[in-house]
Amino acid sequence: MISIKNISKWYGSFQVLTDCSTEVKKGEVVVVCGPSGSGKSTIIKCVNALEPFQKGEINVDGISVGDPKTDLPKLRSRIGMVFQNFELFPHLSVTENLTLAQIKVLGRTPDAARDKGLKLLDRVGLMAHKDKFPGQLSGGQQQRVAIARALSMDPIAMLFDEPTSALDPEMINEVLDVMVQLAQEGMTMMVVTHEMGFAKRVAHRVIFMDAGKIIEDCTKDDFFGAPRSERAQLFLSKILHH
Amino acid sequence: MNYNWEWGIYLAAEPGGTGIYIKYLVIGLGWTLATALAAWVIALAIGLVVGTLRTTPHKWVVRLGNAYVEVFRNVPLIVQMFLWFFVVPELLPKALGDWVKQMAPPWGSYLPAVMCLGLYTSVRVAEQVKAGIGSLPRGQGMAGTALGLTLGQNYRFVQLPQALRIVLPPLTSEFMNVIKNSSVALTIGLLELTGRARAMQEFSFKVFEAFAAATVIYLLTNLVVVFAMRALEKKVQVPGLISASPTAGAH
Amino acid sequence: MFAGYDFDVIQRSWVYLFRDGMTFTLTLTALAMVGGIFFGTLLAMMRLSRFSILSYAAGGYVNLMRSLPLVLVIFWFFFLVPYIGAWLIGAKDPVKVGSFMSCLITFTMFEAAYYCEIMRAGIQSVARGQVWAGYALGLNYWLTMGKIVLPQAFRNMLPVLLTQTVILFQDTSLVYVISATDFLGAAAKVANRDYRLVEMYTFVAAVYFIISFSLSLLVKQLQSRIAIIR
Repeated sequence: MISIKNISKWYGSFQVLTDCSTEVKKGEVVVVCGPSGSGKSTIIKCVNALEPFQKGEINVDGISVGDPKTDLPKLRSRIGMVFQNFELFPHLSVTENLTLAQIKVLGRTPDAARDKGLKLLDRVGLMAHKDKFPGQLSGGQQQRVAIARALSMDPIAMLFDEPTSALDPEMINEVLDVMVQLAQEGMTMMVVTHEMGFAKRVAHRVIFMDAGKIIEDCTKDDFFGAPRSERAQLFLSKILHH
Repeated sequence: MNYNWEWGIYLAAEPGGTGIYIKYLVIGLGWTLATALAAWVIALAIGLVVGTLRTTPHKWVVRLGNAYVEVFRNVPLIVQMFLWFFVVPELLPKALGDWVKQMAPPWGSYLPAVMCLGLYTSVRVAEQVKAGIGSLPRGQGMAGTALGLTLGQNYRFVQLPQALRIVLPPLTSEFMNVIKNSSVALTIGLLELTGRARAMQEFSFKVFEAFAAATVIYLLTNLVVVFAMRALEKKVQVPGLISASPTAGAH
Repeated sequence: MFAGYDFDVIQRSWVYLFRDGMTFTLTLTALAMVGGIFFGTLLAMMRLSRFSILSYAAGGYVNLMRSLPLVLVIFWFFFLVPYIGAWLIGAKDPVKVGSFMSCLITFTMFEAAYYCEIMRAGIQSVARGQVWAGYALGLNYWLTMGKIVLPQAFRNMLPVLLTQTVILFQDTSLVYVISATDFLGAAAKVANRDYRLVEMYTFVAAVYFIISFSLSLLVKQLQSRIAIIR
């Protein structure tokens, strides 16, 4: 579904990604972790071309992301993305947030878009807030709306960029629950997160990055059982003890 | 589009008999700068005082300062120019008014223009000074007071020296505004740069040559001012003193 | 202080002053504001574009306009617009352009440079992630700009845009230099005809003051209202 081949990326002369390769199969849940500044958020943004990359190739469902001829808006509309800071549109109501892209990009009628959006809103348990503005919701609620917004486009895969990092601890679980449910229904997911509990429950594979390189790319059991690299061991010992 | 551009016009004599057109325009620049500089001195002096007064704890002083600012800010510059030129001499005591009205050109236009631009700009300087003082950490004023400084000493030695460094860049752009605004004085007969470009166009019928020359001269003047002010900013810079507002970086 | 002055001149001429003069001033202000914000927004988008030709072209235009006195720009356009018109329609001789049209083009193009800087700051005030979110949903550049970035930029900058409009309102009085009959121009005509300069210009100053001052009070009120909503 998503194949990343030998990606390298520079900001000016500073190299942020070095020769990264991996693959996410249909229905697979892959967790990407690593210390901050390791390039994990950058690589996930390369997948839907929010960040350009200078070398290598990324294919999503057989379409090359880096090809200048690719219709990026169309490609992006098929990949859902959830951001660290939610990025709901603050000037639009919750319902409008859910329907805007459905109408403008997929060409759905306002009624169809609304039905679809509200169904998903109900699914994340926020039907009562459909007419509110994002600023009136808690962080956890906003992130659930953001997930519903991404799902309303009927994506073939979902990207999560640290979806719980900006949340207060008591709100993390309400978001993780939605993600777990999604994973169990067979959604293809690539998730950048520090939540190792989530990884243990639903991930098929774990990728560990450090300093712009993929250090480990193995099954969940291998990663938590016996990570091969020292850096991954160090990272795990830090993150699991707090 | 057919227009005959004529380079030679710049070297032709202007009908007033003062020499070639280029010289005529450069003298205009001289008047522009003479007007702007004199007005700038007035603007700085008044602006500094009014701006500072508006930050004092005295309610009535602040109100008076605000009223001054609102009056000069809400009347168009050209109307203020007319007030200084046509109206003020009539309201002065008769002897003084007559003396003003009979001043030989260009002084009869120069004086009202300088007064007008000076007061008009003083309001904008006052706004910057007030903002500059307001942007200082509150602790600075308190620290001065705690040391036993009087209100006046506190402003003079603690707050103004810091505030003025902060407002130097916006004051640069205000100075460029005075240079540009001095062109409005052509409406009361002052032959500064724009006025002379307009006169050149009327004498020679060479519209675009005249205005292009003025445009180039204004652009060069701007460059000179920018570089001069940058040098000044460097000179008064204090190591470690943060000149930007502390909101940067806050989310 | 005003003993011996004849304020009747205002009573005799106010219908003319407001029906002809003020209508010109207000119409010019309103249309130049709409046009200026439109072109200013386009210029701001160009300045922030990743195509360097566009951003240099827009930057050069904005800096040029901001370096020149408005009076000079009014003269420029007054003489240039007939030639541009001729060039646009392919005529051989400069076309005749009415003084209102000439003023409107001048102020739209001049103020666009100032509105551009405001809108540029506004666009930059919208978080980068908002653009990402728009793109990630499959919206293209124009939809992301039009539906997500610009509405927020406008809202953030509304008080500044309106303050610039109050300045524009005052600036329109400079059309006096090409003898257009705006509010000041109309008053000047009456003043010179009846030789009542003191009365007329005092009255004009008072009217401009009342309008500008009330408008800036409104802007201030709006500003505090917006501050509460946020």
